[in-house]
Amino acid sequence: MKKIRINGRTEYPGCVEAEALVSPKPLQGFTNCSPMNGYTVERRHPLFKVKYTGKVLVYPSPRGSGGFVAYGFGQTPAAFVHTKACPLTVSCALLSHIPSMTDFETDPMEVIETGDMVLVNADEGYIEITKREAGD
Amino acid sequence: MVNLTDDEKRILQGEEGHVKQACMEYLVEYCQVAGAERLVDLDGTGDMHTPTTSSSSFFPIEMAELEQLANDGVQFKIPTYANKAPFGELTPVHGWEHCNMCCGRGPERHDDPDFHVKASHEDFYKIFRKMGLMTTFSCANYLTMTYWPSVGQHCSWFESSQIPYCNATLGARTNIDGGLATCLLGKAPYYDMHITENRYGTVLVETDRLIKSDVEWDVYGFAIGEACNVDVPVVTGTSRPTTTQYEKFNSAVSTGGAVRMYHLPGITPEAPTIEFATGGKKFARQVMLDNSVLKATYETLNFHTSDDVDLVYLGCPHLNMVDLLLLSRKLEGKKCKVPLWIMTTPWIYNAAKEHGYVDIYEKAGAHLMSGTCLAAMGTVPEGVRNVAVDTSKQAFYVTGCYPDDDNRLQVCYGSSDDCVDAALTGKWHGEWR
Repeated sequence: MKKIRINGRTEYPGCVEAEALVSPKPLQGFTNCSPMNGYTVERRHPLFKVKYTGKVLVYPSPRGSGGFVAYGFGQTPAAFVHTKACPLTVSCALLSHIPSMTDFETDPMEVIETGDMVLVNADEGYIEITKREAGD
Repeated sequence: MVNLTDDEKRILQGEEGHVKQACMEYLVEYCQVAGAERLVDLDGTGDMHTPTTSSSSFFPIEMAELEQLANDGVQFKIPTYANKAPFGELTPVHGWEHCNMCCGRGPERHDDPDFHVKASHEDFYKIFRKMGLMTTFSCANYLTMTYWPSVGQHCSWFESSQIPYCNATLGARTNIDGGLATCLLGKAPYYDMHITENRYGTVLVETDRLIKSDVEWDVYGFAIGEACNVDVPVVTGTSRPTTTQYEKFNSAVSTGGAVRMYHLPGITPEAPTIEFATGGKKFARQVMLDNSVLKATYETLNFHTSDDVDLVYLGCPHLNMVDLLLLSRKLEGKKCKVPLWIMTTPWIYNAAKEHGYVDIYEKAGAHLMSGTCLAAMGTVPEGVRNVAVDTSKQAFYVTGCYPDDDNRLQVCYGSSDDCVDAALTGKWHGEWR
């Protein structure tokens, strides 16, 4: 099984392995996140009502309100992996204590696909991707 | 590794009591998450959402402890202002009696006087006012601060639309972290927008039309947010913005993206020229947002199949006094066919009342309200299925409150004049012109 390891910067530590859910678009919080249901409700978003609970949520960057922290409450993801950080990702990691990583040596958006298994080792500063087998 | 001063270490060890200790513990953890090596002393102002007794649930602070602190005479270290009305009810300060709607999805109603008293959390504010909090209750509390940070001063604000107002419009410096810990201790992690290097423009944004009307500023802002995301744009192709246009643009860039800082060469304080804006460096990329992109953005912000409007909502961000004056002129002697809600800050509400605007609005069938926001309230009045708004921020967030197929909320988005027309006719005639 092919494994790909990418080093990055830890925002909040922890070590967890789970299936990836990749958002091709930035994610927005506040009213456009439903923490009770564990999905985004941003209209016309590719992940509209796709459950992220228990998944490694992979996305390019956050956008919008400080209410982005909604992703860190309720039915939360197992970990956050994002290409670009900003104070929105910082406050989400800080207020949720969910493992969170960014600033990777290779853009995880180019490597990870939904359904891949991703080990987020934020204690040691890397993620390890096990690609989904063809036909899975 | 976070380097603390001796004074900061003493606070961390609890020598100034548990409240300050919990705040410092939170700030140290915040530094670790953000990758900040130290704290910066704040010399600007604070903006915080209330009522929150702790900055993080992992470092809890009890109400009784805060009351003791207030009784001991402890004050916020920097001038600190309350953002919009108390969370999570977000009931209006003025105009709650017109809100024929439930609070969130619960059974309590905003037009219930008993609920209004409860949702106003006066017990909390009594303590926080004693500590120096100024209860401006606004997402645009810079409109009534009366005391603004100057260029280069370090602040701690929170509201997304206020972040670029602070950084770009005023040239002061803030991240998204206004809260008890930062405002009480007068310290914030030194990262992102506090650091000069991170404030330089890296993306050149151009357009092929002159951005001059309010709706053009708003649409351009949303499109810039989508194109630039967390980067710092240098924005060209505009007229000199009015206060209203700054309000809209700042809220739009931080809805379409997470733009905390931008430059308008020749206009914003850190950009006398493009060279100053970039720190003399080359752009990492250039973006052309031509009329076709702006038209597509305008259409994205609209989300309706019907042109029958049930409610018109103006005031995202909260309207300034000139907006209210202009609206009073447009509504004088007219009669609205559908409800028109106009939202401002509580302090401006009082001025508008003195100027007779509230009477004019009421005679026209419109209501001036203050202190909150339709999307933040999380519901719309009973029977409303199609709302007309004039800002991308409200247009984009209010639909999130009703995501289900059987209960979708429609949004008509356009200029303020299109919205007033919709209020007077009950029909949406707006389009990208």
